[in-house]
Amino acid sequence: MAFEGLLNDPVIQKYLHELVGPTGMPVAAAPPDGEVTDEELAEQLDLELNAVRRALFILYENDLASYRRVRDEDSGWLTYLWTFHYDNIPENLESEMYRLLDALEARQDYEETNEFYLCEVCSIRFEFGEAMDFGFQCPECGSPLESMDNSMLVEAMETRISELREELNVDVTG
Amino acid sequence: MSVSEIEAELSEDEHAGLELIRETGGIHQSDFWKELDVSSRKGSRIAEALVDAELIQRQEAVYQGHTTYFLEPAPRDLDFSLLMAGDMLSPFIGEEDIDARSDAFSQWVMNLAYDSR
Repeated sequence: MAFEGLLNDPVIQKYLHELVGPTGMPVAAAPPDGEVTDEELAEQLDLELNAVRRALFILYENDLASYRRVRDEDSGWLTYLWTFHYDNIPENLESEMYRLLDALEARQDYEETNEFYLCEVCSIRFEFGEAMDFGFQCPECGSPLESMDNSMLVEAMETRISELREELNVDVTG
Repeated sequence: MSVSEIEAELSEDEHAGLELIRETGGIHQSDFWKELDVSSRKGSRIAEALVDAELIQRQEAVYQGHTTYFLEPAPRDLDFSLLMAGDMLSPFIGEEDIDARSDAFSQWVMNLAYDSR
């Protein structure tokens, strides 16, 4: 098996699982050295061919696998020969870190510039304007809406934002 | 020491060299010192300092008929666990668009706050 170092990282395992789902995981978790056909993988892993193909195409869409087509001279059938490119995983995850940072910055701004009200029975949160429209009563159960302190959320986001900036070397003023 | 701390300790010339290598994605040493407008000896010293700081990688290469080095940025060893909140991975993975107010991201942020208590 190739890329064992990367595959030992629990975040990378989670990442692959997120992409291909539980049925595709046997394919994603055991990338072979060199080229392999979908049929070979299905046989080795004892999986349905469709499940193998589905996982391979998801990996392909995420730049983690590529294929070349070869025509069998006797049968005229096309064979897909797949190569795994897990060396692209660190790069993919780096760009996910930038995307997460953007989202956290936007969300922190939203949390800081709005007031929120909570129905403690239904656990539904409303912005101030919505809560006012409902007369500060939950539209689902009629319970009174309570003002909600979101400073814990804001602080947690602030910490993660600065950790991400530090790790990615993002200029704070930039 | 973190990467940014190491970088803060570089001299001005070393900084310019690192920037050049990162911007080009990789450059031959024989072009490196010319681009930086320093002597070849100084260029070589800058490259050596950056290799020692593990900020770049240097490989022998033949370029325009001469043996030189190819200088490229070192792959950054990032802490991917910053994508996690508790046992939940960033919900934007595999998604084309980022919606900072999506329910999935709300859940992620809640996890983050709960986890850091």
